[in-house]
Amino acid sequence: MSQDHEHGLPPKSSVSRWFLTTNHKDIGVLYLITALFFLVFGGVLALLFRLELISSGADLLGSMGYNQAVSTHGLLMVFWFISPFAFGFANYVVPLQIGADDLAFPRLNALSYWLYLFSGILMGVSFFQGTTFAGGWTMYAPLNTPAYIPGEGLGATSVVLALIMFTAAVTLGSVNFLTTMYRMRAEGLRMRDIPIFSLSINLTVWMMLFAFAALLAALMILASDHILGTTYFQYSIDGTTMATDADNPGASLLWAHLFWFFGHPEVYIVFFPALGVMAECFQTFTGRRLVGRKWFIISMVLVALQSFVVWMHHMFLTGINLPIKTIFMATTIGISLPFDLMVFSLIYTMAKGRVRFTTPFLFSLGALILFIIGGITGVFLGAIVLDYQFRGTYWVVAHFHYVMVAGATALFGGLYYWYPKITGKMYNETLGKIQFGVYFLGFNLLYFPMFIAWETPRRVFVYPDGLQIWHTMATVGGFILGASFLLMFYNLFVSLWRGEDVGPNPWEYATSAEWAVSSPPPLENFPGVPSYGTGKLEFLDEETVAERTESMPGAAAHGHAATDGGTVTDGGAVTARAATTATTMESTHEVSGEEHASHASFWPFLVSLGGFIAFLGLSGVRTGSVFYLTMAAVGGVATFGSLVGMTREPFHAPEMAIAERWPFERVEKMKLGMWTFLASDIVLFGAFIGSYAFVRVAYGWTAWHHDLIPAEHVTMPGLINTYLLLTSSFLVVLAMVAAERESKRGTVAALAGTFALGVGFLINKGLEWQHLFHISTETFPNGWNLSTNIASSTFYLTTGLHGAHVTIGLIICAYMTVRAWNGAYQGDDRAIEYFGLYWHFVDIVWLFLFPLFYIL
Amino acid sequence: MDWKGYTVIYVVLFVFATAQAVVEFAGLVDSAYWAAFALIMVLSVVKAVGVAAYYQHLRWEPRAVTYLVLGGTVAALALTGAAAYSIL
Ligand code: HEM
Ligand SMILES: [Cu+2]
Repeated sequence: MSQDHEHGLPPKSSVSRWFLTTNHKDIGVLYLITALFFLVFGGVLALLFRLELISSGADLLGSMGYNQAVSTHGLLMVFWFISPFAFGFANYVVPLQIGADDLAFPRLNALSYWLYLFSGILMGVSFFQGTTFAGGWTMYAPLNTPAYIPGEGLGATSVVLALIMFTAAVTLGSVNFLTTMYRMRAEGLRMRDIPIFSLSINLTVWMMLFAFAALLAALMILASDHILGTTYFQYSIDGTTMATDADNPGASLLWAHLFWFFGHPEVYIVFFPALGVMAECFQTFTGRRLVGRKWFIISMVLVALQSFVVWMHHMFLTGINLPIKTIFMATTIGISLPFDLMVFSLIYTMAKGRVRFTTPFLFSLGALILFIIGGITGVFLGAIVLDYQFRGTYWVVAHFHYVMVAGATALFGGLYYWYPKITGKMYNETLGKIQFGVYFLGFNLLYFPMFIAWETPRRVFVYPDGLQIWHTMATVGGFILGASFLLMFYNLFVSLWRGEDVGPNPWEYATSAEWAVSSPPPLENFPGVPSYGTGKLEFLDEETVAERTESMPGAAAHGHAATDGGTVTDGGAVTARAATTATTMESTHEVSGEEHASHASFWPFLVSLGGFIAFLGLSGVRTGSVFYLTMAAVGGVATFGSLVGMTREPFHAPEMAIAERWPFERVEKMKLGMWTFLASDIVLFGAFIGSYAFVRVAYGWTAWHHDLIPAEHVTMPGLINTYLLLTSSFLVVLAMVAAERESKRGTVAALAGTFALGVGFLINKGLEWQHLFHISTETFPNGWNLSTNIASSTFYLTTGLHGAHVTIGLIICAYMTVRAWNGAYQGDDRAIEYFGLYWHFVDIVWLFLFPLFYIL
Repeated sequence: MDWKGYTVIYVVLFVFATAQAVVEFAGLVDSAYWAAFALIMVLSVVKAVGVAAYYQHLRWEPRAVTYLVLGGTVAALALTGAAAYSIL
């Protein structure tokens, strides 16, 4: 491939290519390799503690070593291996399947990847800060707070921060995938018609968007407990034991609610992509369309929705009341019904077709079998009475490994399935089948005995004597399972050279669009603009596109160019200019690959590196150590500088000239990206406000105000800030009106006014906080600060998060004011509109914080 | 919408915010807490809907955008409501 076909990227053989790339296929490969690395990391830890469990007691790793190994194993597998592995395929395959040339925001996609990688490195580094987190992957409170963590606990703080970084990557990714799938489908491709793998990814990212926002809230609160000294998850604030008369009776349950509100959707987030791969492989290797495809899809949609209302089945043994337990038992049993339908659909597809037992099919079939066992044992757990027995035992461990690792099994099938597409080479089929045999044997030998030895307490290294034989079997199984991966790595590695070359479609009957282009596909994916307008896949050439877009009325004809800036509202210096001058012709040229703006960017890497340094620094600031403080400062500056650099870098990723966009036809991609992001931000703030409401209810809603809040905490500062924010929102819309009328003075004045009011808001808040920090009354002799009680913690943290949003808004606002001064936005107010969406949202949040924290 | 429409919205928002504080200054929060609570929250919701519908232009966007926003809101409310109920 010649250099100018590579969008300004160095060739794949050059190392720098992989640091600069923003192309979805490159990034997909990066995800796959990185995820496999974390699989090995987590797998080695598992083998270590399986060795430990050959006999009862912690004689190999020591107790703390064992706890660290178990906790890190869980976190790595759930977060850093399985979903990123699935998203390696999603990155590579989804744009191809839907007929897009890349994701909607290629640089944000690269940023997601680098944040993911660095968050994993931070996990690794946490081992070297004394000890890493050792409280289990569910991180239950209060054992997740510094007061209850042995030693300094800096490693544990790093783990929390690593998870925050990971969650940031996921949120960016969700916004990106949703925008892509709703704005960039080939003409004629209705949502319900997109290939089943892409559809499963679509539903997965929807769940991610909301579930991870709740996790982000939980993690931010936890990080604040670690770093700032708030007391959300602690029972008592000064003693060393759990006080029964604690001032925060909701602490432990609050974590459980937040975590499992995320956690149950998470298990489907893990499983859905696997289901997509299974369905693809079943179709391809039986030569049949999925039986009952429509019902399969409806089932998936139902499960995705319902996944948000089953979380309390993880809390049957807590103090929540019986009516709510019963409701959640019902929803849990209800959610297994659509799964039955999907399972039957797969079985019938197989029964009706002519099966070809290739490696990908074997893995898919194996996954189905394992999933059935895992699902049935899950229904046991969903029944309250049974769960009273099973909770905290190896039954649960066996159950979720059967379902989760069933998912992983399907994904390994996906690796074989798409390997020829990605590499252009065929793997060794015999060796693949052998691996499947070893894998399947190892898997069942590892996990099935756990059902039998179910009385073993979970996460504990001692167990009743009679169970040793089962544990030994499991350990042997674990090593067999591990060995099967050596076969896979060997096979896939050697086939890169020795494998047979493959054409576009090595699988007979594979029908989705990724098989219509060469293996590997060219950088721009398609030889023209893909279209299903006539019912089958065609590629429109430049003239056709030009003709059609000229005659097309309305919004679809505008090949809006926009950049995907780090600050979402303003894609940098080029946005407005490019947007106003973008003609349809320009974007058609882009798509057909004639005009090559550079798609290389080093900024995503730098932003993530900066974030890594900053977070590592943050993990230790509570010690006051100069080393950590310096790192936090340097990292912070580096992140900010890189974000500015990214915003100012010209980057051109125009919208497709012709595309299917239901139901967001009239919502330009930047706007859709913004709204999707705001939807997740709603859940973030919602979870913060929900946490406040929860701990207040736990304490006693009306006694709260009287007991915990000083009389000096008055309404007035809140009211003034409400006026300031409302007025600033008004000014933003006036800035839009002015820009539309091409009044430069008006635009600048309105934006500058917004900025001034926002600064006023922060100053007012600062004064109020200073005052409250230093009051000295009978009840609060030492002021009312973040650690005083649970009410002060919620007040400062929730309004503080809001204040941080205001600050970010102000930075963007200042930038835009300067640009408006230089003449930007006149006649095109879109950038101001997108900034406004964010700013008004921040305003709306305050409309609720004000009464909740100042009046009621 | 032109600047006049935006101004009307602004005035309404301003008045409603003041009304919330008046409810407190008038002592209603102390005398009839839950009535005051309901009143104040309803005012907040009305204000929020006003900002979203007019300043964020949801009224003029395809309905799908509103559903997206409602989706997030419902998720947050489900979490808050069910969690709080679970310990009542
Ligand atoms: C088919 C329907 C399913 C039902 C009815 C079900 C039910 C349950 C229940 C009630 C628990 C809590 C057990 C306890 O802690 O006492 C549980 C745990 C778990 N399930 Fe499932 N499950 C199902 C499917 C899945 C799937 C598809 C996955 C993942 C792919 C999964 C992953 C997990 C995990 C990871 C845990 C353990 C959480 C922990 O660490 O405490 N489950 N399941
Ligand atoms: Cu669950």
